[in-house]
Amino acid sequence: MLNKDADARAGRPIDHRDDGPTIARLVLFCLKVGLMSFGGGLSGWLYREFVQRRGWMTDEDFASSFAFAQMMPGPTITNLIICCCSRFTGSGGVLACIIALLIGPFFAVLGLYTVYGTLSHDPLFQSVSDGVVFAAIGMLMIICIRGVRRTIAFPPGMAVIAGTAFCIGVLHWPMLPVVLCFAGVSIVMAWRTL
Amino acid sequence: MSEDRDILFALVAVLAPFSLLSVGGGSAIIPGLQHQAVDVHHWITAEQFVEMFAVARAAPGPGTMLSTLVGWKVAGWTGALVATLALMIPSALLCYGVFRLSDHHSDKKWNRVLRKGLAPVGVGLSIAGSMTLFRLVGGGPGAAVITAISTALLFWRPNMSALFVLAFGALLTVLMRMVI
Repeated sequence: MLNKDADARAGRPIDHRDDGPTIARLVLFCLKVGLMSFGGGLSGWLYREFVQRRGWMTDEDFASSFAFAQMMPGPTITNLIICCCSRFTGSGGVLACIIALLIGPFFAVLGLYTVYGTLSHDPLFQSVSDGVVFAAIGMLMIICIRGVRRTIAFPPGMAVIAGTAFCIGVLHWPMLPVVLCFAGVSIVMAWRTL
Repeated sequence: MSEDRDILFALVAVLAPFSLLSVGGGSAIIPGLQHQAVDVHHWITAEQFVEMFAVARAAPGPGTMLSTLVGWKVAGWTGALVATLALMIPSALLCYGVFRLSDHHSDKKWNRVLRKGLAPVGVGLSIAGSMTLFRLVGGGPGAAVITAISTALLFWRPNMSALFVLAFGALLTVLMRMVI
């Protein structure tokens, strides 16, 4: 257990035997993510599962998929599930994953609406759903930490990270033009180094 | 019966285009959706829309599940299903199509350049996303401590179940609010 933790921290993929991305595993995972995705922000959980714990994807593949998922219309989590799962399964499998992702929220939102006024104003329920979001931010932070560590030796890449974060997170500029702008600069830089 | 079908068609006609406009997670389409559902089609009142918005935010799942509630209100279970699909399918198909198209060429140089170039943008977006989420749930110093604890847990114990960390965050928040 501890050795595995050390491996994962150092970015070495953990060797899990019989631990491949089967459809059953992907669908079950999507079901869990859907049910827990209060307030969004569960992209960090995908990172943890696909990159950190299972080693199914590289950091770079995940981070570029994440940027792509946000640029495309539609909820980020849905798009990201599409990008991540379609590496391992065909269109039918991806469809099953999306249904698994949305079926929990579908019934939850209707259920909550029928008891609106009691549960959604209940301070305990508020605290629980806020607490899940606080912990989910922790998972996003892991993407940030590992991404910065990976890029720190390459100052132009750091400038892209900082610029994107500042314009959207602090200045609240609209996402799409900011992303297109920084992606353009970043892709030109990548072209020159490769 | 034909009136029911007209309503379902109207739901699709309103929601499917919004699906392709919902860039940036979906909050961009909320004003347009309100205009269509309240002012144009009179499916719901402005008060009901605000109520549905609050419920969709509190429930798990994408904020755009607000459309599920609108569909439910106008046409019951069928309406809820049709509205959900109308808002999800167009954007999902587009994402799948474009991703498969580029993934097909994953060994080409332009594709490697694209992935390498997009990666730092993705990292920047996750930093911005953390800040936005934190503000959205009204995070204060206590919330910052809980976020830091869960980050540390996730960092030092990469094999720990994510579900456990989420539950732990919820428990700490409940305890914190009971004390303070």
